[in-house]
Amino acid sequence: MQQLQPMGPGSLPAPPGSGVAHEISHGPSFAMLRVDLAPGQTLVAEAGAMVARSQNVTMAVKLNASPSAGFFATLKALVIAFIRKFIGGETFIVNHFSASAPGRVWLAPSLSGHVAHRRMNGEKLVLSTGAYLAHVGNLDIQMKFGGLSGILAKEGAFWLEVSGVGDLWFTSYGGIEAVDVTSPFMVDNGHIVGYEGNLTMNIRRPGGGMMGLVASGEGLVCEFTGQGRVYLQSRNLGSLVNWLSPLLP
Amino acid sequence: MRFDIQYRPAHSLAKVSLDPNESVVAESGAMVGMSTNIQMQTQSGGLMSGLKRMFGGESFFRNTFTAANGPGEVLLAHSLCGDMVVLDVPAAGYFIQSSSYIASTPNVSIETKVGGMKTFFAGEGVFVLDATASGPGQVLVGAFGGIQELVCDGSLVIDTGHLVAWDKSLTYQVGKSGSGWIASFLSGEGLVCHFQGQGRIWIQTRNPAAYGQEIGALLPPRSG
Repeated sequence: MQQLQPMGPGSLPAPPGSGVAHEISHGPSFAMLRVDLAPGQTLVAEAGAMVARSQNVTMAVKLNASPSAGFFATLKALVIAFIRKFIGGETFIVNHFSASAPGRVWLAPSLSGHVAHRRMNGEKLVLSTGAYLAHVGNLDIQMKFGGLSGILAKEGAFWLEVSGVGDLWFTSYGGIEAVDVTSPFMVDNGHIVGYEGNLTMNIRRPGGGMMGLVASGEGLVCEFTGQGRVYLQSRNLGSLVNWLSPLLP
Repeated sequence: MRFDIQYRPAHSLAKVSLDPNESVVAESGAMVGMSTNIQMQTQSGGLMSGLKRMFGGESFFRNTFTAANGPGEVLLAHSLCGDMVVLDVPAAGYFIQSSSYIASTPNVSIETKVGGMKTFFAGEGVFVLDATASGPGQVLVGAFGGIQELVCDGSLVIDTGHLVAWDKSLTYQVGKSGSGWIASFLSGEGLVCHFQGQGRIWIQTRNPAAYGQEIGALLPPRSG
């Protein structure tokens, strides 16, 4: 059976000795992240996430191609970034915040929801589009094409694969629940925030054939097998959009 | 007069308890409910100041609620999900981002200050209200998301979409966030406010325009 672990409401100060000094406040509905940068440290954050910063923290716009990426990978990332800048969605353009003297950066996602911190120690984590908020350290973040099944699952055709050593912050629409999967576990595709890389994900119908897909209102589900952690969000952006659309003039 | 804020932080509601003949001034549309002995008066404060308010993204009118023949209550709410706070207006006064203003005591004067031409191009207008009080006064402000007080000790850079209110003792300048216009556009940070000096700044943890863009991009196009 799975263990359900709510990520905790309100303020989550960082445990001492674990990575970068930071504080997550105003959770779970309107979480905001404050990162205290030491001189020489660089915080990488999703474009548009900055709320405030100390004057001595400089900001530079960068393309989020991994350090190991060659010329063509960089070019591909640039083309995707420009396309997505105009059609919406994750741009894959990031801002680098660097402090020459101790400085602070405050970040917030655009939707209502929580922010979670995870110290990465060489394992792999897969994030859904839009869940990435920021990182400090030597993390490699690569955009992966989810294939046709990814498009079918409306979860977006792209996933982000995070690996390396560093501090990672990710965000959700609604609260975040961590589920430790030991036996096969199904999640509605719109509720996935991310999952550990040693899990296998398959996109499936919830059962009941074509009728079940239409009538149950559950859309497609993702089945996780193996051992590892899945992060879920308590709200579904697709459901909000479907509810709002017919109400518009 | 007493302000009690309930249902914080997501769906805050302000209950204003008025003594006999006391008044509270509120943004048009903010009233949720009131006692039957409350008299509501609508005022634009003259055509020009009304137009100026509309131009600043606020409504043309403001309402004054007065408790007649005994004490009474007025319930006020913001249109967005989020927290509210009551700020005591100091002698120096505050600047308030126009859409954050909800209500004030009658002795607080609220004037629209147009933020400068730059704001038109960015679409993220920083229309600012100048709040000053002739005596001890209070103003009720509302946020999209939580409200956080930041202390500016020297300098601070804040995204204009997250501003709620700040001490008038601070000097501020609206400018681009990156080193150039292309960098600013790509960075997605739009306009920022550079603050200098010593004072307090209240920010909201969500940006209404950024929320609108994120959801808006997923909605079907308007018909017609």
